[in-house]
Amino acid sequence: MSAIVPYIRRDFLRWGRGRVAVVSTLVMPAAWLVFVGLALPIRFTDNYLDFITPGILVMTMLSAGLAGGTLLMFDKILGFMNKFLALPAPRENILFGKILFASGRGILQATIILAIAILIGASVYSPLQYAVTYLILFLFGILVAAFATTVALYLDDHDSLSAFNTMITMPLFFTSSALMPYDVMPPWLRPIASVNPLSFAIDAVRAVDAGMMPSVQLAALGLLSAGVIGICIHVFRRTTV
Amino acid sequence: MIAIETHNLTRYYGALRAVDHLDLTIENEIFGLLGPNGSGKTTTVLMLTTLLRPSEGTASICGYDVLTKGTEVRKHISYVPQDMAVDIKLTGRENVLFYADLYGVDNPKDRTDEALGIMELSDRADDLTKTYSGGMRRRLELAQALVHEPDVVFLDEPTLGLDVAARKKIWEHIRSLKKTGMTVFVTTHYMDEADRYCDRVGIISSGRITALGSPPALKARLMKDVVTISVEGECSSLQEPVIEGTEYLGCTGSDLSFTAENGREALPLLADALGRSGIRIRQMSLREPTLDDVFLQVVGQQEETPGFNEQKFRIMLRRRR
Repeated sequence: MSAIVPYIRRDFLRWGRGRVAVVSTLVMPAAWLVFVGLALPIRFTDNYLDFITPGILVMTMLSAGLAGGTLLMFDKILGFMNKFLALPAPRENILFGKILFASGRGILQATIILAIAILIGASVYSPLQYAVTYLILFLFGILVAAFATTVALYLDDHDSLSAFNTMITMPLFFTSSALMPYDVMPPWLRPIASVNPLSFAIDAVRAVDAGMMPSVQLAALGLLSAGVIGICIHVFRRTTV
Repeated sequence: MIAIETHNLTRYYGALRAVDHLDLTIENEIFGLLGPNGSGKTTTVLMLTTLLRPSEGTASICGYDVLTKGTEVRKHISYVPQDMAVDIKLTGRENVLFYADLYGVDNPKDRTDEALGIMELSDRADDLTKTYSGGMRRRLELAQALVHEPDVVFLDEPTLGLDVAARKKIWEHIRSLKKTGMTVFVTTHYMDEADRYCDRVGIISSGRITALGSPPALKARLMKDVVTISVEGECSSLQEPVIEGTEYLGCTGSDLSFTAENGREALPLLADALGRSGIRIRQMSLREPTLDDVFLQVVGQQEETPGFNEQKFRIMLRRRR
């Protein structure tokens, strides 16, 4: 465990010193909150901001998780990876460090987005509800980051990775339950949305907001994360000696 | 104590034999692996540092097999690849401390200070690496490599892209490392640097070691003087000239090289002989042999690998990562 911390600390130091990057990742989810959450004329609820906030939080975690893959790709391209692989510490720590950093950074970003949402009129919930919400977001972050690092291990260059990220982000978001509940969706969208991992996380956060404990979704997210981490380790061992 | 030992070490990339049955025994010394680009130097280093699996053969570092005792091997080595990978948004101290923590050394802060001191970076230690020159970044990488006091240090092209002063400094540091008991395995294609600083060198070409020994011993294979003759046009089209009292070494571009026991006497003989075959001479020079001449003799013309194969190249890149 102790050998993972240096990797995480390194990434946080580097991130904290790139001032533009710290702000720019927040612009997109904040824009969604304000321009869609406040502006869209919606009939199925009288507080659309409360409805869309879980979706935007999960979207923030999605892009934060995918960014973990990009970071790993740069380590690969710039030669850091080879230096790390020649260290005696367990090699998998490189992956765990990256996945934990990406999820941890996502949690920080989600906190800021949540604060903005409350500032512009979203409801405030109890500490216990927030604690479960954070657990869901963190698990989802782990899932996405593990998936993104696996893809980054497979691909050879940064261009293909960023094309891949662009390709999946929007379709994943729009086919989830982020923007509308299942009963107002067109019938063809419902089955897609109900198997979309984004919906698991979003529905779970909404259930928490409604005062329920989303055990099924938590278990599903936990199992999925464990599975993807397993695949990630396998791919890692195969591509590095 | 044998630092590095390889036996029949071989690596294929598809059909390309990048390293071809290498047998090396390296003890406490500065060993230079010399060769042109694409001759198998980096592949050799990757196999010795457990980053690449050998196709055939074995290798061991400090007695630990690279295939079965990978973690032990990595505890005893440091590897500095040629990419110059330091975090530019971190300070020099943070860059080194990062490795001290990863190696799990006792007193990481003290070891970091010490390593930075050895590499003469103490006064700039708290500046962002972004502001460092190429030579300083290289020294920072050496400091990272020193922090856990390894037994064997692998340096892949440590002076690539540095100016003359920075190169000299890097090599002086490499020498001082050896004095503290470390074995240094360095790859380079700068023959003059290897000549001056390496205890022993191996010349590698197409994955095979074609000459092995100390630079003076290798140069002693040649006769006392080397004569280089610039001729008009390319010399590769000429047939090998046979001139008594001299030995033909090879040609690069429009320069023909010969070695002779007495260069001063050989000069007119060579000029006459070449003139008779209708070759127009532009310039002649006489000097002592260098490793470049040894290289020319054992490898032949130094040219870029012809017939670039996109498929092979892509496979190679993928495996390297």
